[in-house]
Amino acid sequence: MSKQRLRRALTAATSIGVVAALAAGCSSSEEPKGPDGVTTVTFAASTFGDPGRGPKLLDLLDEFNKSQNEVRVAAAAVPYPTFGQTILTQMGGGLGPDLIRFDMPEFAAASDAGLIAPLDDLIDVSQYKLHQQPDKFMVHDGVRHGIIFEASNYAMFYNADLIKTPPKTYEEFFEVAKSLTNGDTYGLAFRQTEAEMAGVWQDIFNYVYGFGGAWSDGKQLTINSPANLKGLQAYKDLYDANVIPRGADAATFRRMFAEGKVGMELNNGGYVSATKGQNPDLNFSVAPIPFPVRSQGTILAPIVINEASPAKKAAATFIKWVLRPENQVKLQEILGASSVATVTERSAASLAETPYLTVFDELTESSLPHVVLGFEAKTPDIRKVVVENVIAALQGKIDLKTALDRAQEQALAAVK
Amino acid sequence: MRQLRLGLTARIIAVLVVLGIAVFPLYWMVVTALSSNADLFGERPRLLPDLARLNVFVEALAEGKAAGWLWNSLVVAVGTTLLSVGLGIPLGYALSRFSFRGRAVMTIVLLFTQMLPEALMVVPLFALFRRFDLLDSLAGLVLVNAAFVLPIVALILKGAIDGIPRELEEAGRVDGARPLSVLTRINLPLIAPSVAATSVIAFFHAWNEYVFAVTFIFTPGIQPASVGIANFIGELGTPIQTVMAVAFMFTLPAVTFYLFAQKYVVSGMTAGAVKG
Amino acid sequence: MTVLEQTRTPQVKAQPRWRPNRKRSPLGSKWTPYLFLAPAAVFTLLFQVIPLAQEIYLSFTRTSLLNPARNQWVGLDNYKRIFGDEDFHRTLLTTLIYVVACVVFAVGAGLVVALLLNRGFRGRGVARALVTVPWAAPGIAVALIATWMFNAQYGIANRILDAIGLGIPGGAILDSPTYALPAVLATTIWQLFPFTSVVLLSALQAVPQDLMEAATMDGAGRWATFREVTWQVIKPTVGLLALLMTIWSLRRFELIWLMTKGGPVGATETLVIDLYSYAFDSKQLGTAAAIGMVGVIISLIVITGSQLVARVAEKEAHR
Repeated sequence: MSKQRLRRALTAATSIGVVAALAAGCSSSEEPKGPDGVTTVTFAASTFGDPGRGPKLLDLLDEFNKSQNEVRVAAAAVPYPTFGQTILTQMGGGLGPDLIRFDMPEFAAASDAGLIAPLDDLIDVSQYKLHQQPDKFMVHDGVRHGIIFEASNYAMFYNADLIKTPPKTYEEFFEVAKSLTNGDTYGLAFRQTEAEMAGVWQDIFNYVYGFGGAWSDGKQLTINSPANLKGLQAYKDLYDANVIPRGADAATFRRMFAEGKVGMELNNGGYVSATKGQNPDLNFSVAPIPFPVRSQGTILAPIVINEASPAKKAAATFIKWVLRPENQVKLQEILGASSVATVTERSAASLAETPYLTVFDELTESSLPHVVLGFEAKTPDIRKVVVENVIAALQGKIDLKTALDRAQEQALAAVK
Repeated sequence: MRQLRLGLTARIIAVLVVLGIAVFPLYWMVVTALSSNADLFGERPRLLPDLARLNVFVEALAEGKAAGWLWNSLVVAVGTTLLSVGLGIPLGYALSRFSFRGRAVMTIVLLFTQMLPEALMVVPLFALFRRFDLLDSLAGLVLVNAAFVLPIVALILKGAIDGIPRELEEAGRVDGARPLSVLTRINLPLIAPSVAATSVIAFFHAWNEYVFAVTFIFTPGIQPASVGIANFIGELGTPIQTVMAVAFMFTLPAVTFYLFAQKYVVSGMTAGAVKG
Repeated sequence: MTVLEQTRTPQVKAQPRWRPNRKRSPLGSKWTPYLFLAPAAVFTLLFQVIPLAQEIYLSFTRTSLLNPARNQWVGLDNYKRIFGDEDFHRTLLTTLIYVVACVVFAVGAGLVVALLLNRGFRGRGVARALVTVPWAAPGIAVALIATWMFNAQYGIANRILDAIGLGIPGGAILDSPTYALPAVLATTIWQLFPFTSVVLLSALQAVPQDLMEAATMDGAGRWATFREVTWQVIKPTVGLLALLMTIWSLRRFELIWLMTKGGPVGATETLVIDLYSYAFDSKQLGTAAAIGMVGVIISLIVITGSQLVARVAEKEAHR
């Protein structure tokens, strides 16, 4: 090829390349209505990655899509390990999926930053029988930002083959855990590594509130209160007694539970389906957490509409469809032992198969989401400070009281 | 004579140990993928792959998604390679042969960009890509990956061209050839190993890239495999066997491609470095 | 002059230095260089230089990830805060240890492997190919298998350690403040040594065989031969590799993040991990940018320092 033509070809190729790149990128998610008049909205939920519940949830989306032909809901691609970070980056950049199933700390941060659309004009909630207690957390300053998608309360899972009667007090709990720990079997398991910061926060929440403590009184931070110290000491005692598989991450110790190598676990209702999926033959049951105070955490997951979404009405259509009584029942079936936004009745068949579902349902009124009351939007910062200090105490670097005092100090600085 | 043979045996043993270390984790990926739960969580771990369980790979592929992920990764990797090497060859040539204002500055800027962590650049690039509507597209990933890999491609190629004696080009120029054809007719064949080397570097960078892939892609259908694997790390349980199976299938093409090209990489990478 | 001394005197260059003519370059018009450069230059400007400038600006502001457009100017506040933070001092120290260990072990292991593969033996080609496998493996796949191998209860690492009597009580590796960093380093060096060994292998090929033979004939032992002949030839390459490893290890993110997220208690928290955590967990883009700038400045210092050292070394050699 002559030099002239080669040079021209190279220039042409480069410019075409750049133009093509730009054009390809122009497959806009800005323009909601497709050529056939169907609006597509995207829905991001870490649940889709769940081996047990994910596919069933996708089926529910299909049902919605088939039930009408104006709106199509598609699952968005956000993997669980970086879910919060990815979504918030996208939303902060003015984009992101139309519908999002959030965890409470991220929900609080996002709504505080104005990234979530108010729902009052889009959905009339008076026609639904909502669970009042958890629904309170969906409203900030009189403005509703979300509808509960899932409320998954924490309870005590135990291997019914290894444990005939579940413990009813902390002392019994401790004893059972010790007696079961032998060789490669452990009495208990919980998260204690920094790599699972959000999980540790959820786990210690039960201990703090179960012993009468609280992270704040609604106005002031009370991280180093005596009741908190008692609760976290109870947590640390179990760690020190070596009744848990140290260093095991949640995925590992849940597998161990499914294999009968872990006797008990404090976990949320969503875990019921996952365990059954991992080992259908496991004989396990559930009881309320045997701590002095009946107060525990719940994974409260609201579904929200992105303020930056160009298809808010279409997105609201999906939410309203999910709120219909028959679909609420379907959703609850998929989610397993969780509660949904409205008060529902379990079918006799599901109760026969899983009798302890009622245990979870009864805990809804006493459960609190994993946020710091009065400081909801700052929960991620407080969480980081608290978990880092608690882990330092677990590792023996500092004593627990000092850890909590430091956490209080650092948290106060973080929320200024 | 005996000393020589002993030396050879010792050397071979040492090499085998090194190879063992190099390959073991990949081997372990396969063994883990093929293990049953009892194997994994039992008293004694399984050391040899259980070939009866090969269907874990088939299932992972049949899921439908894994094949799509691998395809997306391939598109991004090939695109990045073409773009970065396509821009890097003229850039490397210019840095080597031409003397122009700003040459020193350009070289420093290129070196400098090698010091920037990707995590730092995600947010500003997100805003930039949004303005140009490049988000949620494989083309966008190609652009950002090429941007990060272009400097090192250009610098390696510059080094390689430095190593070519200018007499060869002088000869071409005497014939009245323009710079572009000097480049293509004379230099390119000589720096072919380096081009191969930089292609490998670019390919790997794009194939393995995670941070931008996860932040810039929203639609499941165009997720590359690096993000796809992360999907398996679920909130409520990671099926290790499937994860390892997909991880292995993700590693295999990169390793295979490298094994093909490594002959050239060895000479290509150091053509300039040793002399320079 | 013995053969050994000969290696230290630089060869005289045979070719005359080619001086470019700016006005009318024999290579064509004055604009040719810019044409060659233009696409790449625009590219780099758009995707590297401008974002970097933005980051420099951000480091002087208080900006939230959730609203990146709104920046509140705070001057040197972010920098003052991070340098006053004890945890940041620990981060700097951890980063230093990480970088030094990466350089020393990656280059060291690379050298050993390169020397091993330098002499011919059957199957050498295959060996050379296989040794590069770790470098080709994607970061996330490596993180997944490494995390599994270091698993406290079921990981093969613990089983091996127990078998050879070095068992860790409790088995926690990635969760232990003592063993987390070594484990992460081991994985990192596993990924890096193929690269260094390949480069060093090529450098070794350049060692003139006749010099080696002459040295042996002069009566030099193996160590002396290495020191006087081999080392002299590969010294520049080792230097280059050390520099490259330093800069790269300051950037390495994926492995550490996916394996330990910087824990436990900051045992594996390097600058980049800290940066990411500030940006995406605490949502403080300003502080994250400041940390990023600290990392960049450290890289700059390392590069300029190494250039100075190289120049001084050259002057010494010419004396």
